[in-house]
Amino acid sequence: MFWLRPLWRRVALAATGGAWRRVAGWASRHVMDTALMDRPPAPAGVLSQTPKPIPPRAATRALLAEVTRAQRPGLLLAVGLGAAGMVTVLGQAVLTALLIAGLLGHGDVGWAAVAGIAALALLQAGLFIAQDRAQVAAGAAARAAMRARAFAALLAAGPADSRAIGEKASLVVDRVEALDGHVARWTPAAAMALIGPAMAIALAASVDPTSGLILGLCVLLVPVAMAVTGIGAAVASRRQFAALEALSGRFLDRMRGLATIVLFRREAAEATALAAAAADLRIRTMKVLRVAFLSSTALEALFAVALACLAWRHAALATGTHADPVAAILALVLVPAAFAPLRAFSAAYHERAAAEGAATALAPLVATPPDARLLLEEMPPSVVVTFDHVGLRHDPALPDALDDVSFRVMPGEVLVLMGPSGAGKSSILRLLMGFSAPTAGRIALNGREAAALRPAELRRLSAWVGQRAHIFRGTIAENILLARPEATAAEVAQAARDAGVSAFAADLPQGLDTMVGEAGHGLSGGQAQRVAIARAFLRDVPLLLLDEPTAHLDPVTEAAVLDSLRRLSVGRTTILATHSPAVAARFGRVLRLADGRVVDRSLRA
Amino acid sequence: MMGDLARVLGLWRGRWPALAAAVLVSVGSALLGLALMGLAGRAVAGEVALAGGVALGGGILLLPWLRPVLLGRPAARWAERMATHGVAFRALADTRVWFFRRLSSRLPGGIGHGRAGDLLGRIVTDVEALDGLYLRAIVPIAAGGAVVVATAVVLGALAPGLAALAALPLAAALALPPLLAPAAARAAAAAAEAEGRLRDAVVDPLSGLEDTLGAGAEARALARVAAAGDALAAAQRALTRRNAAAGALGSLLAQGALLGALGYGLAGGQGALAGAVIGAFLALAAAEPFAALPRAGVALAAAGASARRLFAAADVAVPVPDPAQPALAPTGHAISIEGLCFAWAADRPPVFDGLDMEVPEGARVALLGPSGSGKSSLIALLTKLAAPQAGRILVGGVDLATLTADAARRTFAVLSQDARLFDDTIAANLRMAAPDADDPALFQALDRAGIGDLVRALPEGLATRCGEAGARFSGGQVRRIALARALVSTAPVLLLDEPAAGLDAAAEMAFLATLETAAAGRTVLLLQHRLVGPFRPSRVFRLAGGRALVGLG
Repeated sequence: MFWLRPLWRRVALAATGGAWRRVAGWASRHVMDTALMDRPPAPAGVLSQTPKPIPPRAATRALLAEVTRAQRPGLLLAVGLGAAGMVTVLGQAVLTALLIAGLLGHGDVGWAAVAGIAALALLQAGLFIAQDRAQVAAGAAARAAMRARAFAALLAAGPADSRAIGEKASLVVDRVEALDGHVARWTPAAAMALIGPAMAIALAASVDPTSGLILGLCVLLVPVAMAVTGIGAAVASRRQFAALEALSGRFLDRMRGLATIVLFRREAAEATALAAAAADLRIRTMKVLRVAFLSSTALEALFAVALACLAWRHAALATGTHADPVAAILALVLVPAAFAPLRAFSAAYHERAAAEGAATALAPLVATPPDARLLLEEMPPSVVVTFDHVGLRHDPALPDALDDVSFRVMPGEVLVLMGPSGAGKSSILRLLMGFSAPTAGRIALNGREAAALRPAELRRLSAWVGQRAHIFRGTIAENILLARPEATAAEVAQAARDAGVSAFAADLPQGLDTMVGEAGHGLSGGQAQRVAIARAFLRDVPLLLLDEPTAHLDPVTEAAVLDSLRRLSVGRTTILATHSPAVAARFGRVLRLADGRVVDRSLRA
Repeated sequence: MMGDLARVLGLWRGRWPALAAAVLVSVGSALLGLALMGLAGRAVAGEVALAGGVALGGGILLLPWLRPVLLGRPAARWAERMATHGVAFRALADTRVWFFRRLSSRLPGGIGHGRAGDLLGRIVTDVEALDGLYLRAIVPIAAGGAVVVATAVVLGALAPGLAALAALPLAAALALPPLLAPAAARAAAAAAEAEGRLRDAVVDPLSGLEDTLGAGAEARALARVAAAGDALAAAQRALTRRNAAAGALGSLLAQGALLGALGYGLAGGQGALAGAVIGAFLALAAAEPFAALPRAGVALAAAGASARRLFAAADVAVPVPDPAQPALAPTGHAISIEGLCFAWAADRPPVFDGLDMEVPEGARVALLGPSGSGKSSLIALLTKLAAPQAGRILVGGVDLATLTADAARRTFAVLSQDARLFDDTIAANLRMAAPDADDPALFQALDRAGIGDLVRALPEGLATRCGEAGARFSGGQVRRIALARALVSTAPVLLLDEPAAGLDAAAEMAFLATLETAAAGRTVLLLQHRLVGPFRPSRVFRLAGGRALVGLG
């Protein structure tokens, strides 16, 4: 509740009158500026060489404005249709007032007015549906664009972004979906909240200036009340999303390890912990809603005040002595008409708070500056890898991951990296994958600086096989094909034969077209490794990076996989990390590592 | 669909009084709103009253009555929303926990090939969609019903014909939700399924991030996500169009009520005027809640679709049901396997075909066999994650089939190949195995697993978080922490499935050398593909052809 304190201070200031203008100005700035889509773009600080840290709030607003600006035509159409709908509402109000006045004996309009109201109702329904379609389309387009951007940024960041998968998926799915509230709901609703009441007030003022003034004052107080309550909602919304993410992450984490939980008989304890997390989420959500509902309560109160003031102003109606009964009834009927767009705005306000929380989480991810590094001009037929006094330090508090490592690997040669876990074998391979960059020394490929290439371009040179190959959802053939999507079926079949995939695929119901991965046929560890090797065969690139490819295999399978790898390495530059002397013995030159340093160079293990 | 929704309501049984109370608050608030506009209408009709000589009371006199209504209405709205949302979230938390408990008994072996990404979507998105059942269907329908009844009663007292004209369109709007629900249910199911597929398309390449990047498959992953996103947008479009059409229909019906009241006044002449004006104002008041009412049908449908998928996942059969009258837990823990036959499914090749094996109390037994020879299946059978088709397993002389799963699992501390560290502190991970263990006991286990010094050197020590699946640590370190977790357990039998996998040769030697002391008198069943190093088992078996052969190292 700490955020309520500055809030109350603001309200108190407003009450004393001195700061009134400041509050009103601040409120209109906060509530209305995102509604006006043609604000100048945010300063492009992200593009400079040394990106300045952008304050999160500014980055959030810049992102939301950018997303909205891209959908401007669709949103303008939606607002135009909304304004046309408002015209029909006002038309109905006039006809209703005439009709009621007629009933009371002032004038004679009769059934024509009833028919007019009915016709306008039908037109209004059509306009409403058209408006909804326009804004839904704009929202979908905005989400598609942002989803592609966020997912590409996650892939580009690679393993350097150590967030849990559940958390990353929540960014690309839930957070992007939450943006819809801003684009498709809040932005058009905010524009209509300006236009709609203005039209109603103008109509009221044209028949009775005092009624127009009363209605105008009450309507003007709505954004102030909403802004005062809205800031709290935005703060609380960020915390609510943090809780939701913690809950999603916790659940996925626990479901993945469900077998472990069951074997240790901790189901009940974990269920209790989950209940506690859910209770925490509920408390946070209720904090958001408490304030969000307060803003709509303020709206209700102002609605009632407007109605009461107008009833008092036109009290003469009750005694039958009113000078202009049509104007009086119209003023009363216009109250719901003027407040309807504000109600829609109030409903969307909550969604907008959620969208703002989402944008805050997405902004740092998608604000990655464009990569100024080079593209690979052409695929070299062979690669000479040179490490020249390479050092790598991930964290100043930790010892160097690599220290003064130098070696050269020629085409057709296999360099075996040996050493205990943590010696730096994987760090060397990860440098060549572009997952990190050396903090000292240099890496050269065919004599040219590797760091000058973009990481994705660097990876085009190499094929990689890790300890446990990931099998993607799809057929075996698709899993192989992803290494080179333009390859022909014959090439895929050849790669499958070379890697020994065909041998086991022949026993499967649909051969290479058998579905594997999650929800598909389960492959054993050895089979998965063979699929990864088939990918490497198909990829047909000059550099081969093998990170303990047989660590989890039994000796028989290991021997078969190593044979495939030997065939694969012919004519290529190969770097193989292993801690098994038996594996090292089958390949060439050995570089022994310990604590990130080279301790021994020898021809044989 | 209604059956699923009724079952959801059944899950919320404990919350029924609170749910009903919140509905009452909501009804009260709706009636206050009606009263506000109704009194305004009477103020206007006051003119008619004087002119027509009907004793309705002067409009101006009503203003004192108006005051409490004016003040009460906004407060009632706020109270209504807080009450309904608060109790709905409590009910949803119950659902979430129920689902977790259910899955842990129905899918105890883990979700395996089940779709983890989709499952996450299920629990979070689907459980949240269930709030639509209460907040967007039950509450507005109840409030709407109260408004219809109140309108009919108030107008009925003035003129029965008017009551019919104004209240009937409103009653029709009330009937819309159940009528619209089935078609909307299909659209909602399609949208939820599309979102699950999108989540899968995102999770799959991220789960194998290194393989994705190593194979240069970013473009393919992006294209898949874009296609899944487009499919989701199309499904959502169908749903929102239905929503918009329903909203338009609802507002047409509310306006129909207004026209009915005005038409009654036009046709009825002077005597009908007062009622017609009040009716018109009541219809205006009903317009807002009723315009939103047909959307309750869409909410009902979405909740139904979510409920269906939640129950589909939760209703998988229990793989090994506990016996109706379980035997008492055994006092000893010698394991005797007799004629065990087992296959994972009828159409899969048998894993065991007459397996016989004896593991006496306190023995150190090595069971050797290549991957796929059934080592993991044996663990599943011992821990009652699966049941044999023939033969039996005796623990301390008691048939495992007569024990509860809980009693069976109490005997074993398992380090399986897919043992996972949770995204929690090291201490919390270790205490999974022994909730009451103190810090020295945890360090003792970590020392035995050969990782105590590393943990001591960490700035946060035991309070260091492991990251997802132990992402903060190297593969070998994760394995050692998982081993320490098995060692800290007080279960009398240690089942170690390839405990040294992922360790380098020196570490493997060091670990196997400490295994005898680490086991500290407990029975050890070591499952390995080969026997290396200093571990000296008292018995060695080799798995081949679904049987265990007594062998020598």
